[in-house]
Formats: sequence, C-alpha cells, structure tokens
Amino acid sequence: MTARLRDGLLTLVTYILVLALFFPIFWTVLAGFKTEGTAVAQPPVLFFTPTFDNFREALTNAGYTGFFVNSVIISVCSTLVAFLLGIPAAFALGLFPTEKSAGTLSWVLSTKMMPAVGVIIPLIIIFKQIHLFDSIPGMIILYTSINLPLVIWMMRSFFAEIPKDLIEAARVDGAQTLQILIGIAVPFVTPGLAATALLCLIFSWNEFFLVVNLAGPHASTLPVYIAGFMTSEGLFWAKMSAASTLAVIPVFIAGWAAQRSLVRGLTMGAVK
Amino acid sequence: MTMARSTRMLLIAPAIIYLAALTQAPFILTLWYSFQKWILTSPELGVSFVGFENFSYTLFGDAIFRAAVLNLVLITAGIVLFSLFFGMIFALLLHRKFPGQGIARSLAIAPFFVMPTVNAVVWKNLLLNPVFGFVNYYTTKIGLPRVDILAAFPKLGIITMAVWQWTPFMMLILLAGLQSVPDEIREAAEVDGATPWEEFRYITFPLLGPFVELSVLLATIYVLQLFGEIFVATQGGPGSATTTLPYYVYETISQGNDVGTSSAQGVCAVVLASIIATFLLRLLARTFKVAKA
Repeated sequence: MTARLRDGLLTLVTYILVLALFFPIFWTVLAGFKTEGTAVAQPPVLFFTPTFDNFREALTNAGYTGFFVNSVIISVCSTLVAFLLGIPAAFALGLFPTEKSAGTLSWVLSTKMMPAVGVIIPLIIIFKQIHLFDSIPGMIILYTSINLPLVIWMMRSFFAEIPKDLIEAARVDGAQTLQILIGIAVPFVTPGLAATALLCLIFSWNEFFLVVNLAGPHASTLPVYIAGFMTSEGLFWAKMSAASTLAVIPVFIAGWAAQRSLVRGLTMGAVK
Repeated sequence: MTMARSTRMLLIAPAIIYLAALTQAPFILTLWYSFQKWILTSPELGVSFVGFENFSYTLFGDAIFRAAVLNLVLITAGIVLFSLFFGMIFALLLHRKFPGQGIARSLAIAPFFVMPTVNAVVWKNLLLNPVFGFVNYYTTKIGLPRVDILAAFPKLGIITMAVWQWTPFMMLILLAGLQSVPDEIREAAEVDGATPWEEFRYITFPLLGPFVELSVLLATIYVLQLFGEIFVATQGGPGSATTTLPYYVYETISQGNDVGTSSAQGVCAVVLASIIATFLLRLLARTFKVAKA
C-alpha cells in the first residue's frame, strides 16, 4: 500500500468517525424540524419537508422563555461577579507571586475539586432560612463560586505571561497598583479575558446539580426545563428536540469561539 | 516583583473569603449535620446529637449505599477508560494534516458542549428508545434482538452517553499533548524504519504520558460528580442499578428529607473522592516514572 493511499484512507476514516461522533447532535437538530409523526417514524426519516412550528412554539412558550431568561441572567451575572472577585486575586498571584502563592492556588483548586454533594445539604437549609432558595440572586451567588476558581487559575496563567519590564516601567513612572491592573495588565490579557468569560458562561449554562437542588419554578434554568420533558412531555420528540437545539446553540457559539483556549480552561491553565 | 503585603491582601482576600464561605464553611456544616438526627419533614422529632450513628448506618447498615459506591466506581471507571480510548483515537486521527481538519475538529468537540440533560433526553429517546429509536431500528435490521438498553444494561447505557460527552474532552487534552511532541523526533523514527505502531508505542505514547495522566485525573474528578444523565435517563434505576453516590445523596435529602444521613453520605463522598484523586495521582506519577526510566 502506498503512503498516499494510506493517507487517503486514514482521512476517510477520520471523516466517518467524526461524523459518527457528531451524529446525535445532527439528528436532534433535524428532529426539531420534523412533525411529531415524522420524528418517531420507523424507518428513521432523513428527507422531509421541514416545519418551524416546534421552534416557534418553544420561543413563544412562556415556560421556556422564562427558563431561558433565567439562564442568561444567572450565567452572565455570575461570570461578572467571578471576574470582579477573581481578577484582582489572579493579578496578584500571577504577577507578584510569593512563596505562599502556590499554596493559595492549590487551595483554590481544592475547592473546585470538592464534590458538590459535600456542601449541598447545608446550602439547601441555609438558603431556605435566608430566603435565597429558588431565587435568582441565590443562584448567582452559587454559580459565582463555581466560576471563581476557573477565573483565578486561568487569568493567573495569562497575567503571568505579561513581560515584567512593562509593569516595572509603569511603577517607576509612579503608577499605583490599581492603575497598573486596570491600565496595563487587563488590556494586555483581553483575549484571555474573553476566553475565560466564555468558559464561565458555558459551565454556568450547563450546570445542573446545584440548580435542581436549590431552585424551583422561579429561578430554574434551561437544563431543568429540558429534564422536565422526561416526565411531562416525554413523547413529543420533535418539540423536545427543538427546545434542546435552542438550549445548546448559545453554548456551541461560545464554545467554538473559545476553542483555542478551551484546553487551557479545562486543565485550569496547566496546558497552554 | 514584590508588592506590599496590605495591597496583596486587599486583592486576594475577597476571592478567598468568598470561596471559603461557599465551599469550606458548608462542608464543615455538613460534617456537623452528619452527627445529628434531623428529619426536615418531622420538626416534632427535633434535632439531636447521635454521634456516629448516621455513619455506622451508612457504612454498615445500608446496602443501597454500598451499591451506590460500587456503581459510582464502576460507572466512573467505565466512562474514563472508554473516553480515554476513543479520545486517543480521535486525537491521533485529527492530529494529522488533511483537508477540512479545522471543521472536523470543531465537529468532534461539539458533544462536550451539550448540557447533561439534553445529552440524556436525546440518547434515551431519539437514539436508544427500544421502539422508535434510531439505534434499535438498525440493530434489529441486521438481526440483533430488540433491546431496551437503559432497562436491560442500564450502566452500559449511562456509560455510553457519558463517553460520547467525555471523548472530546480527552481528545482535546491529548491533541494538545501531540502538538507538544516535536515532529523531528517522529520523523527521525520514521527514517530509522519504525512502523506506525512502534512509533506510537515507543515515541508518541511515552511523550504523551503527562497529558494522559492529566486527562485521566481531571476526567475522573469531574465524572465522579456525574448527575444530570442519571437524573434524566434512569433516576438511579432500574432498582438501584445506576444509583451512584451523588444521586443517592440527592434521593436521601429530596425524598427522605433526612439531613443527618444525607450529610453522612456527603462526607463519605468527599472522602472517597479525595482517596481516589490521591490514589490516582500517586499511581500515575509512579507509572510515568517507570515508563521514563
């Protein structure tokens, strides 16, 4: 077998396997455009006249749009609060490390590694007592704590790449710490900032364990809405597929936009 | 570079206090609750200190808890190992240069972005439903018996949907690893007449070691928390076949309203996760050292 033939075959195998991996998503999006009858038809239908009814219905359904808005508010706000708290810490840890910094960072990481079941019971009890249970502010507070370790670790790795001379020069010119942070460091790491924000949005958007335990009808997010299909509308596959498609589209956009920094985020900055 | 201590504190403290308040403090409360008898729906019984009663019940009296630990270990191991295997295949294939590489990578990453509950409703219905599902139509067509995978092989069903989601995760980290292996080393091996398998076995794989290690460790830590798929697809069943520790804690608090017992289970889950993480770190570090020597 010649090298070229082998190469071509491997490429073909790659295409086939990648399409197989993507197939469940393709099939779901397709089912969103089907009628309920076509969606459950056997043999499975590939070609049909598409209908937009399922998407229109999802977008005009008050239940769905309510959950969607909750998802947007909670993920955006928790990302912002995590940035407010995390960026100063990441700045200090990344640009001015001391011998204690490694310990602080490991501790931050350990809070991320803590299984959620180890903290959920007191959170349920306390949130009910102080009326944060099933509230948007309550969920923002919780999601901030998921995003914060990611912000600290990832932004620290970006801040650490800033040339030290740049900071020293500004200091010689008499710049205060806050001026250096806002005027020099943050503008320098804008791409990293964007990537970190996208990752925070993705993780908050998809989070399920905390929201299902600590929210009810008022503050629940899209993953809970989708889970509800299993009990209430389990047989309406086309509607379910359209709602699912709309729920994952924002993440696909954010994810593909953040693709280059994805590995860095998933490994908490360990792999560049 | 240095920074005044007070400035440092001002910059770092808010984040640390926030994290401590939202993660350490609740865990200490979980520990405290785990020594109490406290049923939320029966306030007339009050709250009383019962020492290690919840732990002795959980560890020695509760068969479902033991099943949940075993299920958690089996399901997690299954997901991590299969994802590593498939992730490695995809990483090796997508590392080659070929037309459409960028699009192929984007498509291959996509499953990782799908929220767990969407993952579960799609697999449970569109793909694995025994009557109307895509998979059964074609498997029965080639003569295999019609099978409701989530009823007959529930663990396999859960593992399948999670592997689909975690394969891209493994692939991403391994791809980063492959990109860090200098092409010259591989080319040199090719010139020396190494077969593709030898090249993978003796050059790529050992250099990939730290990345395999990292991907297994991270995936294990995340997958130990798997919840949405089980919540939607099987509710821990049939029986307790897919009741993992996180799901069991959820049941104990949301259906049993039993604060003491669920807290004891939560504490055990944290201990188990720490043991597994420490064990993995050691094991992986050692294997890697042996491989290098």
